[in-house]
Amino acid sequence: METIKEEKGRFDEWKLSARVFFANRTAVAGLVIFLLFVGDAIIVEVAPGLVGVQYPDSVVPPLFSITHPECVNQAPEPPSFDHPFGTTEYGVPGEGCLDVLQLVMKAIRIDLAISLFVVLVGAAVGTVIGVVSAYIGRLLDEAMMRITDVFFSVPFLILALALSFVLGRTVLNMAWALIIIWWPLYARYGRSLTLSTKEATYIEAAKAAGSGRLKIMFKHIFPNVVPPVLVQISLDVGTVVGIFATLAFIGVIPNALVPELGALANIGLNLAPLGYWWTVIVPGGTITLFSLAVNLMGDGLRDVIDPRRRS
Amino acid sequence: MKLWVYVLRRLILLVPTLIGLTLLVFALEHAGGPSVFLALYINPHLTGSARQQLVDQLTARFHLNDPIYVQYFYWLGAILQGDWGTSAQNGQAVTTNFVWFMPNTIMLTVVASLLTWVISIPIGVYSATRRDSVLDQGVRVATFTLYSMPIFLIGFALFLTFGTSWHLLPAQGNIDDNLLPTLSSKSWFDSNAVSYPTHIYLIDALLHGDVPIAWNAFLHVILPAVALTLALLAGIIRILRVSMLEVLDQDYIRLARAKGVPERTVNNFHAKKNALLPTVTTFGYLVSGLFGGAVVIEEIFGFKGIGWWTTMAFLNSDIAVVMGSTLVFGIVLVLTTLILDILYGFLDPRIRYE
Repeated sequence: METIKEEKGRFDEWKLSARVFFANRTAVAGLVIFLLFVGDAIIVEVAPGLVGVQYPDSVVPPLFSITHPECVNQAPEPPSFDHPFGTTEYGVPGEGCLDVLQLVMKAIRIDLAISLFVVLVGAAVGTVIGVVSAYIGRLLDEAMMRITDVFFSVPFLILALALSFVLGRTVLNMAWALIIIWWPLYARYGRSLTLSTKEATYIEAAKAAGSGRLKIMFKHIFPNVVPPVLVQISLDVGTVVGIFATLAFIGVIPNALVPELGALANIGLNLAPLGYWWTVIVPGGTITLFSLAVNLMGDGLRDVIDPRRRS
Repeated sequence: MKLWVYVLRRLILLVPTLIGLTLLVFALEHAGGPSVFLALYINPHLTGSARQQLVDQLTARFHLNDPIYVQYFYWLGAILQGDWGTSAQNGQAVTTNFVWFMPNTIMLTVVASLLTWVISIPIGVYSATRRDSVLDQGVRVATFTLYSMPIFLIGFALFLTFGTSWHLLPAQGNIDDNLLPTLSSKSWFDSNAVSYPTHIYLIDALLHGDVPIAWNAFLHVILPAVALTLALLAGIIRILRVSMLEVLDQDYIRLARAKGVPERTVNNFHAKKNALLPTVTTFGYLVSGLFGGAVVIEEIFGFKGIGWWTTMAFLNSDIAVVMGSTLVFGIVLVLTTLILDILYGFLDPRIRYE
C-alpha cells in the first residue's frame, strides 16, 4: 500500500478516505464485482429482454413449462458455448431445461435485495437500540443485555428455522426471521461503541453547554458509531446471503417459488448426484463470489476507518 | 475477584437467560394460536371424538382459556417434567427423539471441533510468524474464499466429489443400508434401528466388539465431520492469525528476541500460549456455528442426528420437534458457553475483573 501524504490546507476527510480505499487493490476488486452484481440486478429489473431473461418471476410449474427454444434435450446439458453454465431442468420430467446462466442472472436480484434489506433494517434497529440503552444505562441497559443474551443462546440457523416455521415459509417472512436474529448483534456492537465514546471530553463539554440527551446521542455519539457499523454491514451482507441461500437450499421456501440462488441449487439437488454438477455448483459459486466481493470491500473499508492504517 | 465469586456471578446470570429462552420458545409455540399449540401434543392421525376428548383434556391441563401468563407456568411445568410433546413423524415423545438422535450430533460436533483445533492452530501460528510470505498470502486467500462459501456448498461439494463421483467414501446415512438386516439380529439393536447403550453405531459396535460394523460406521462419519470442520476452519484460522500477530508485536517478545532466544522458542514458548488464550472466547461462536452447521451438514449427508431430524420435522410440519430442538439446542449452547466462560476465567485471571 502506498503511503498517503496529508494534504496541505483544508483537510478533506472524504478525499483521504477514498484514497485509502482505492489504494487497496483487493478492496477495489471487491467493489467492482459488487457493482457488477448491482448492475446485473438493475438490468434484469429494468430491461429483462436485454440479457435474454424471459422467465417469469414465479417458477411455479405451469409458468415454467415454457421450454427454452434452443434447448432440445430433456436432460441437463453441460456447459457449452451456447450455455456457458450449462442447463438445468425444472424438477418435473418433460418440462424441458433452462439456461443456468440466465437463471442465475435473474436470481442475483432477489439475493441482493434480501441481504441488503435484512442487514440494513437489522443494523438500523439494532444500532439505535444499542446506542440508547448504553447512553441511558442502568436498568434499560441491563434489560437490553439480557434480551440479546436470549437471542444469542440459540444457534442462529435453528432459530431461523423455528421463526420461519411460525411466520410462514415465504421469502419475505424468511427475511423478517433473519432481521429478528440480526438486530441483537448490532445492538451489542452499537452499545460497545457508545460506551467507548460516552466518557469523551467533548461529550462532557456538550453536556456542560446544556445539550439534551437526545441531541448528545444523535448529534455527538451517532457520528462516531456509524462508520464502524457501516464496515460491519458490508461484512455481514456476505454472511446473510450465505445463510439465506442455505435455508432455501434445505427447502425452507417450498417449491422454489422465487428464482433465488439457494432455491436454484435446491432444484439441482437431485440432478447433481447424477453427474449434472453445474446445477448446484454454479448457483453456489455465484453466492461465494458475491460474498467474497463484499468481504473484500468490508476489509478495505475497515482500513479506511482505522486511524492506525491511514496515517 | 476470587474465582468462586466469578463462577457464582456467571451462574446467577444464567438464570435470566434460561427464563428468557423458555419465554422465547413459549412465544413461538403460542404465536399460531391454540390449535397450533395443540398440534404439539396431538397425533395428526387422531380424529373424531377421541381427538375432541384429548383437546379438552389438554385445554384443561395447559389452562388454555386462562390469561397467557398463567399458561406460561403450566407450560413450564410440563417442560420441567419432560413432557415436550409428541413427534408427528414417528409418534414418539419429543424427548425420546432427542435421546435417540442427540448422541450422533454430539459425536459429530466433538470430532469436528477437535479437527478444527488440530488443523487451525498450526496453520494460524505458522501463517502469522511468516507474515506476508507466499505461504501466508496463500493461507489468507484460501481462508477468505472458504469463509465466503455458504455452508451448503462446502457440504455438497464434498458429497459430490468424494461420495457420488469418486465413490471414495460413503456419503449417505450412518451405516450401509445392506448392513441393517444383519444389525437387526444383534442383541444391542432394537426394532427402531436404535443401538444401545449410547445410540451411536460406531461406539456401540466397538463396545460389543463388532469391528466390521464399527469400521463401516466410522467411514460414514468422515465426510460429515470434514465438511463441518471446513465450514468453521476459515473463521478460526483468521482469528488465530490476528491474535498471534498482536502477541508477536508485544514488548516481551521483542525482549526475548533481543536476549537472543531462538525464533522457534519465541514462537512456540513465549507467543503461542498467549495467542491461544483470546481464542477461547471464540469457542462460543464455534459451538453456535457447529450446531447450526450440523443441521445443514446432517441433512446433506442424511446423517441421522438431531440436526437432520429437525430439518425433517421442519419440512413435515412437525412443530413439536422443531420447537423442542430450539429449546434443547438453546440449553446446550447456554451451558457450553457457561463452562467455557468459567474455564476462561480460570485460565486468565484478568477476565474476572472486567
